Amino acid sequence: MSDTPSNTITLTIDGREVSVPKGTTLLKAAKQVGKDVPHYCYHDGLSSPAQCRLCLVEVEGAPKPMPACVTQAMDGQVVSTESEAALDMREGVLEFYLVNHPLDCPICDMSGECNLQDYVHAEGRDHGRSREPKRIFGRDDFGGDVLYYGDRCVMCTRCVRFMREVEQDGRLTVVERGNRSVIDTFFDRGLEGTQFSGNVVDLCPVGALVSKDFLYKARAWDLDHTPSICPSCSQGCNIELHTRDNLVQRLKPRENLEVNAFWMCDHGRLNYEWINHGDRLEAPLVREGDTVRAMGWKEALTALLQRLGDAAEKGVKVVASPLAPNEDLAALKALVEDLGGGEIVFRMPRAEDEIVLKGFPTMARRRDLAPNGRGAELLGMRRVGEDDGTGGLEGVSGHDGVVIVLGDALADQGPDFAAGSALLVYLGTHSGPAAAAADFVLPVTTFAEQEGTFTNHEGRVQRFWPALSAPGAARPAWLVLGALFAERTQSDSIRKADDAFARLVATHGAFAGLTYDDIGTRGALVSDTVPLSGD
Amino acid sequence: MSDVPFKNPGWAGNTGEYDLTEDQVRGDEFVGTRPIEGGHPSGSASYPYMLPDKDPEAPLFEGPYKDRFEKILTRYPNKQAALLPTLGLAQEVRGHVSPHTMDGVAELLGLSPAYVRGVATFYTMYNKRPVGRFLIQVCTNISCNLCGADDVMGAFLRYTDTELGETSEDGYFTVVEAECLAACGFPTCVQINSRYYENVTPADVPKIVEHLKAEGAGGD
Repeated sequence: MSDTPSNTITLTIDGREVSVPKGTTLLKAAKQVGKDVPHYCYHDGLSSPAQCRLCLVEVEGAPKPMPACVTQAMDGQVVSTESEAALDMREGVLEFYLVNHPLDCPICDMSGECNLQDYVHAEGRDHGRSREPKRIFGRDDFGGDVLYYGDRCVMCTRCVRFMREVEQDGRLTVVERGNRSVIDTFFDRGLEGTQFSGNVVDLCPVGALVSKDFLYKARAWDLDHTPSICPSCSQGCNIELHTRDNLVQRLKPRENLEVNAFWMCDHGRLNYEWINHGDRLEAPLVREGDTVRAMGWKEALTALLQRLGDAAEKGVKVVASPLAPNEDLAALKALVEDLGGGEIVFRMPRAEDEIVLKGFPTMARRRDLAPNGRGAELLGMRRVGEDDGTGGLEGVSGHDGVVIVLGDALADQGPDFAAGSALLVYLGTHSGPAAAAADFVLPVTTFAEQEGTFTNHEGRVQRFWPALSAPGAARPAWLVLGALFAERTQSDSIRKADDAFARLVATHGAFAGLTYDDIGTRGALVSDTVPLSGD
Repeated sequence: MSDVPFKNPGWAGNTGEYDLTEDQVRGDEFVGTRPIEGGHPSGSASYPYMLPDKDPEAPLFEGPYKDRFEKILTRYPNKQAALLPTLGLAQEVRGHVSPHTMDGVAELLGLSPAYVRGVATFYTMYNKRPVGRFLIQVCTNISCNLCGADDVMGAFLRYTDTELGETSEDGYFTVVEAECLAACGFPTCVQINSRYYENVTPADVPKIVEHLKAEGAGGD
């Protein structure tokens, strides 16, 4: 043990000895021995008011039950979280919680991931003894994405404390007192204009605060959870994609104290519909004269390889996308260098200002509204265009050699984009001007359908995992580009994202030393920290 | 011994002498030295008889009230701590704490309006709605209830011709239920504005109401 004895104390929890640093609360100490003491008001990211009274545990020698969330562990203490007395106390507290709770689980969005449900099931009484009528509040629209069901509320005030302590915009409060208390805003002045208030829905341990966007969309137990990275800005918040029926149903933040703690912004939270957009490219399309023909991958890539070499003699110009993961960009760069090299540009929308989360200021909705602009710059790509993500492609459009477009649908460009080029190849997810003009349209996957990494604004490489199955014949861009590269250089093709990343690490010093295993679910910083252009 | 030459009807055991006027009881509608006249501001909220005329649109705060507000601020370590007396002062001026008033107080003290709303709604002595000139609070808690508080309540509602919590048409009376007024030895206890009426029975109610009506008319 590295701590000096004076900084470490040893106590017994449920018969097991555990050593923790001084000042650790009983709740956290109990977690170390695998006991999750039920709690509502306590949250790792907020202050502890110890008001829900649900984390009561029995401490030997203490005259009263102690709230585990604020009681500091002491040397030699003997704590029981599951003794008869402790269970009795918590059963009593839970019975009170159900006095006014409507038990409308069948129509409650939180059902299946509700702490009240879980705790009552584990420790509560099998029936309530209250014979009084329940008080009824109905529901209240808080504005923004938040809906409040007062009857379900357990008054833990996590939401109030989040708005006060973390967002630091005290829009929420407890109104009235006793059994009339409800959470409310200032009359009709709701949560509009706040940028992080969606987090109160995640914080709510019961179904009192629910997301309007997710309302009645899916049951919690039908959702698959996939760890991922938010693609909406360069902060790279760790998130989970919750999917059902091969559609993203909602995004939830995933804890990472070095990036986003427990939070994510409303902008990112609600910006996921594009992933579900149905108008997808599903098969390689090849232009033959005036007609476009769908082909299999082998046929299409063979045809492309035949034309690529000759056309590249006049040079290669490339438009990449900051939505593409590092693996795709590196595979693109490798192919372009094999074709004789050429400039790779990308365009990235830039918001007017950063929206900083005041209570956790290392997190913000960054100005760069794409997840991997930093990765693209680390790979030597150049940012062009306006702040709204348009323009800047004059040099590419007029090029008469090979033009490759990866991931950028070129929505602002006309049908005559790169009309004079010898060969226009578009690797993308959705149709658009780029697909309409291209000689070869190769369907690729979105970040939600493949494994890969993004490099966030501070140079943290973070992994994401596939949550959806790709439509039709769409494949990850690194696989397509890697196959072309392997065929041209007669080398082994890459078959795993892991290998694609290893090849990236081998060829780019900034990423030296990183492996998927190192990055894990928490991310790892690149060694090179070049500032983003414009910073 | 007190040299007051009468029995204060607010004291225990005496509910009979309602023919006294306000001047006879107190000499003035304020007890002690008013803050306006240099008295200590901390007493402001405890004076039983405050300004008879309230203006819900009165500014926060002006003239002597501004001085009192500034004195209140000096008594607390920060502005947030001065919220309760500031709300009290606002209610004294405006008669009740409306959303508009909460917003104004929040701005004065640099707090979020929602926080002020939370505090104002927590305490029952802030009137969230306009009340009549006489706020009649009938204790219906255990002791009083056992001794017929419900009947007293009913009598007040009948003789003032109002619904529970509503203000009578002439603007004089608002009858509300109160939790324990800490006068369990003298049920039923009724608090009218800041004065206690103890051992009230339904039979006393018409006399009390008549007395108040006369007083209200006199004060105009």
